[in-house]
Amino acid sequence: MQDQSVDAGSQPAALRLSDLRKAFTKTAVDGLDLTVRAGEFYALLGPNGAGKTTTLRMVAGLLPPDDGGIEIFGVDARRDPVAAKRITAWLPDEPMLYDKLDPLEYLEFVAGLWGVEPKRAQQSAVELLEVLELWPHRHELCEGFSRGMKQKVALAGALVHEPKLLMLDEPLTGLDAAIARQVKDLLVARCRAGASIILTTHILEVAERLADRIGIIHHGKLIAEGTLAELRDVAGQKNSSLEDVFLELTRPMERAA
Amino acid sequence: MSFTQGSFAWLVAHDLRLGWRRFRGMFGSLRPRTIAIIIGLCLATFHVIAWPVAGWFASLGNSPDSARLYYPALASACLFIMPWLISQALTSSTRALYSRGDLDLLFASPMPSRTILAAHAVAIAIESLGSVAIFLVPIVNMNAIFDGPHWLAVFPALVASALFATALGLCLTLALFMLAGPRMTRVISQIAATAIGAGFVLALQIVHVLPEHMRDSIVSSIDAPEPGSLFDRHGLLWLPVRAAAGEISDLLLWCAVSVGFFLITAVLLGNNFAASAIRSANLAPKRVRERRGRVGKKFRASLGACLRMKEWRLLARDPWLVSQILLQIVYTLPVAIVIWRSQGDQGSIGLSVAPAIVVISSQIAASLAWLAISSEDASDFLNTAPVTKAQIERRKLEAIALPLVVFLAIPIAGLAYVSASTALVTAIFCAAAAASTALLNLWNPKPGSRAQVMRRHSQSKLVGIMEHSLSLCWAVAMVLAALGSMLALIPIALAFGLLWFNRPKTASAKFSLTATAA
Repeated sequence: MQDQSVDAGSQPAALRLSDLRKAFTKTAVDGLDLTVRAGEFYALLGPNGAGKTTTLRMVAGLLPPDDGGIEIFGVDARRDPVAAKRITAWLPDEPMLYDKLDPLEYLEFVAGLWGVEPKRAQQSAVELLEVLELWPHRHELCEGFSRGMKQKVALAGALVHEPKLLMLDEPLTGLDAAIARQVKDLLVARCRAGASIILTTHILEVAERLADRIGIIHHGKLIAEGTLAELRDVAGQKNSSLEDVFLELTRPMERAA
Repeated sequence: MSFTQGSFAWLVAHDLRLGWRRFRGMFGSLRPRTIAIIIGLCLATFHVIAWPVAGWFASLGNSPDSARLYYPALASACLFIMPWLISQALTSSTRALYSRGDLDLLFASPMPSRTILAAHAVAIAIESLGSVAIFLVPIVNMNAIFDGPHWLAVFPALVASALFATALGLCLTLALFMLAGPRMTRVISQIAATAIGAGFVLALQIVHVLPEHMRDSIVSSIDAPEPGSLFDRHGLLWLPVRAAAGEISDLLLWCAVSVGFFLITAVLLGNNFAASAIRSANLAPKRVRERRGRVGKKFRASLGACLRMKEWRLLARDPWLVSQILLQIVYTLPVAIVIWRSQGDQGSIGLSVAPAIVVISSQIAASLAWLAISSEDASDFLNTAPVTKAQIERRKLEAIALPLVVFLAIPIAGLAYVSASTALVTAIFCAAAAASTALLNLWNPKPGSRAQVMRRHSQSKLVGIMEHSLSLCWAVAMVLAALGSMLALIPIALAFGLLWFNRPKTASAKFSLTATAA
């Protein structure tokens, strides 16, 4: 999505993780170094339990890292979490909604939390609900919504405060083809408008089609990163699909483990 | 009955296992053995408590007093137990209708819907029986030892009553479903269940506040009932009482009626139950009242306004939650009335009702604070917002002030009508009591879902004890202060001491605690 001719060094990275570590009973994230450029659509792939969600939760300020640095557009998220959160949105796979609020009330609440100017927030809420085809349901309580509709309301909530960095964890899980297309189109549009997007997904076709760069993490470490062509080179598999490349790159580690 | 997979008994066992897990959940993370020991100790304690009462009853022997007390005592027990059993059945059958995962699976299976309902009904009857048995078994056992084995007739009568109440509860739920529709049934039946359960407590108090001559006439009608009247123990309504009293033909009749009613309900309503469960799953989304204009009201700007509005909306749209909170008032009222009556003609209603209002205030504040802080639906989401935790907590505490004032406005206004100065003192102590229990809940968050508001102390008994102790301290302080006594400072100091004891510990200590718990 980003214009590759722009000098990436002229503005701070959207996200810079340096030697990030987190252990629960087992090590979840093991000295992760990762950089996402401003305006980039970045797909983070990895097998189950690789540490993708843990990483994003640390960036969102939901989990304190054991060690390492998190920088969002030059803001040190560990030192100044509020400033970092102001420009960030986090959309987990389970939508975080209130059953007893309607979509419009939810968006008003989100805008209030992020301190968006009310007039602008209202306009942006209306636009989002219309684009996501939630407008006819704006006065219905979220408790009666299907999973796909809930996911769309949560996405609208993540976008209503116009974050510079948007992190989505499995945003397309459980969505039908039509809703998934709406969500993808909206994400691409946001990226074109200048937002940086990090997305984890198990649907490799999504990463293949949407992402500027793809990072593969395994056992809490970044094991490969680059465009699809670059990853093919690393895996030594010309003209193969991302699925082949992914399986090839994660397999040796599986054996070693 | 066999326990082969897919059989009726197997399905009952499945329901009972789920019921046992729910029951275990009320004890937090205690192990089954510890729970069994606690129940055993409770049973033993209740036996000890029942001992002197049974001894006294037996000492009456064949005196006229004994005969005079026997039937009314059993009748009171029936009046207490039947509503409880019915309310349990209402709650359980509503839960069965609306708990989707389980029923979807069952109705998708080739099992007949009658079997499914019958199994549910048996499990409900056994569960509600258990909740009564723990109190009743010790009383009956001790009376059987001291007064004679005829008391053992209570047990079969109780089993029959549980079946009868369960069938009635199921019928009521399904009738509500047809009359009020799937959306309202849940709320109405939850409120009705609680109201029926509380009904007896309130009914007793109504008798207390009746004028003297009316009470006298009730007592004399019980003593010498007119044939065919409500108090005639040979009437139809007294059938369960006579059954419990061991009149063998009535006991057999009561068992036959109950089992028959139960079977007919299970067989006839099976399909109806299935249809209702399917309807409850396919509810159209509920619409909020349409607002004027294209979007409605303008978006609010401030963080405080947004958080307050969110809390108020969530509360206002959950009538069951509000009814649970208001029930605290209902349960506190009898105490106030007892205190008032105990003071005789010289008693001041202000001084008896006012401490109850202080207690209500502290309890409602605690519930509201717990709802706002511990049962946040989207806590992760709030944590990703660019505001500090302290800011959010402060706004949430502000948000609970308005509903608290709404709940307390009528009682305090009523008090002001009697005595303005007492109302003022009460309002001050209400505010202090509410602030203290709200802070307690803020400093000791115990996460849980909103529906658990009345069972929130099952996670931490200590917080529950502290909450009640704070209520008591402020109520006592209020009375002493209203009497102009400097002794009021003692309970006030005690309340501050309790709060100090519960102050938030250092962040690192808190974090390590959370980590250990996780």
